[in-house]
Amino acid sequence: MLLFARLTTALAWIAALLFTIAGAMLTYEVAARYFFTAPTIWAAELSQLTLIWGSLIAMSWALAARRHIAVDAVVRLLPRDVQRGTETLAMIAVAVFSAMVAWHGWGIFYDSYERGRTTGSMLDLPTWVSELAVPVGFGLLFVQALIETGRALSGARLDDDPGDVIE
Amino acid sequence: MTALLILVALFALLLLRVPVAFALGGLGLALLLLGGFSPLMAPQAILSTLDGFILLAVPLFLLMSNVLLKGGVGRDLFAAVHAWVGHWPGGLAVATIVSCGVFAAISGSSVATAATIGTVAIPEMISRGYDKRFVYGLLAAGGTLGILIPPSIPMIVYGFVTEQSVIALFLAGIGPGLALVGLFIVYSMVYARFFGGYTPEPPASWAERRTSSLRALPSLALAVVIIGVIYSGAATPTEAAAIGFAAALVITGLMLRTLTWQGFKEAMFESMVTTVAILLIVAGAKVFGKAITLYRIPQDISVFIGQAIDTPLAFILVVSVVLLFMGLVFEALSMVLIMTPVLLPAAMALGLDPIWFGIYMVVMVECALITPPVGLNLYVIQSVARASLGDVSRGVLPFLALMLLTVALLYVWPDLALTIPFKL
Repeated sequence: MLLFARLTTALAWIAALLFTIAGAMLTYEVAARYFFTAPTIWAAELSQLTLIWGSLIAMSWALAARRHIAVDAVVRLLPRDVQRGTETLAMIAVAVFSAMVAWHGWGIFYDSYERGRTTGSMLDLPTWVSELAVPVGFGLLFVQALIETGRALSGARLDDDPGDVIE
Repeated sequence: MTALLILVALFALLLLRVPVAFALGGLGLALLLLGGFSPLMAPQAILSTLDGFILLAVPLFLLMSNVLLKGGVGRDLFAAVHAWVGHWPGGLAVATIVSCGVFAAISGSSVATAATIGTVAIPEMISRGYDKRFVYGLLAAGGTLGILIPPSIPMIVYGFVTEQSVIALFLAGIGPGLALVGLFIVYSMVYARFFGGYTPEPPASWAERRTSSLRALPSLALAVVIIGVIYSGAATPTEAAAIGFAAALVITGLMLRTLTWQGFKEAMFESMVTTVAILLIVAGAKVFGKAITLYRIPQDISVFIGQAIDTPLAFILVVSVVLLFMGLVFEALSMVLIMTPVLLPAAMALGLDPIWFGIYMVVMVECALITPPVGLNLYVIQSVARASLGDVSRGVLPFLALMLLTVALLYVWPDLALTIPFKL
């Protein structure tokens, strides 16, 4: 479990790095277009890939750190033991959802991979390059949701600081 | 009937504290399965959301404003504005609002705006004898300008889900944003004149004005450049955000030399966390939106509203009340994502402009940000000022009234929003 926590933290940092790289690529693209009249064929497409992969691989870290946006105004009013129950149910719901998306996402990926489908854009990358992010991301989220279900049941998850809410 | 059941299920999941993204996505997927539609639509909707080029602007605008925040740009901005208007009646309050407005033009988030300006302005105003509730209210409300004055993350998201032009939305936010700044300034000056209690200040010296303005100039220029670039069509909003991020690094890292390596790493990580939280909600909402469209829910609601309500005025009144109540419990972005697909068809059937409706939603969401018990900006000010939630909540009431006044103004005079994008 400690190993898994290390993995998700590392993935969260990789996601942060990917978004930063997207910023660099697009800045380069605009500079190349205006100053050298030589727009790139890769900047827009690759930065889009950073958004897909970055968002999906960082999901599980955010679930563990309680950094997903949730409505807690009502639950907060309940007694602690009831909260443990609701939180456990909530985590089971996340586990079921992520398992199904991972499963069907895998189907989409595998189909494209088998048929060698490509994007048909300038770079003409295989479509599975982006589609693989769904089973990977939601697979990790499924494992994390199982861990969090256990932690919700024991009450450990409730003790965590929900972190700064964000928008 | 189905619509009601779906709504009850959604609220049950949300109130159970299932994260908003997965509540929307999960319910959407369940509806697809129940209705005999292909569940493959769920992963496809998630992929197509994250494949949206306009949404790439979200992490980049966040990186830009977080870098500026870590680089202490808020302090410089506030000092510069303060040097010019500090001696006016209620000068510090005016300086605070103007600083919020300027920071809003380089940030797409109201929380970032409230936190950045609040950190410097609150201690300063309290030490000058301003009533603390007034101060908290001013900052919580001033911070909400972050999402009305472009860039704005809720506008990017609204544009994405409704397939409206984000550029038009950005430009339409300028007029109401300035109107709100104006109302806040007038209120602050009137308040200071009659309820006073603060220590007036002498005007700053010209030397002070020059040095502080020079320091704030790069950030101010950045705000102008971002909007200029988008307005002229020289770059897409996403590209403008990337340039803004690069420029923010140059300003804080090379020119002011206030950005540390540690600060940069924090800015990177925080931007990632916010991006992931926001984009997953958008993706979840896309799955949900697909499902309810297949069930013809928006169409049914639109027909229902059409039968019950036949004037735009009645529609806006009813919707405003609903949104105000939702805003008591819901976080801003989720509100936009849940309500827009349901309400926009009805709004358009009544002849309301979709861009206008987007700006209206943003102002209503600003209200949600400062209505207790759940209002993100209340929490921000609470933690920045180490104040009680009660004091902050009472402080925002007059400002809430001013925001609703802006909604009314927007209704009777739609051109307040629509002139800049469409008539200039």
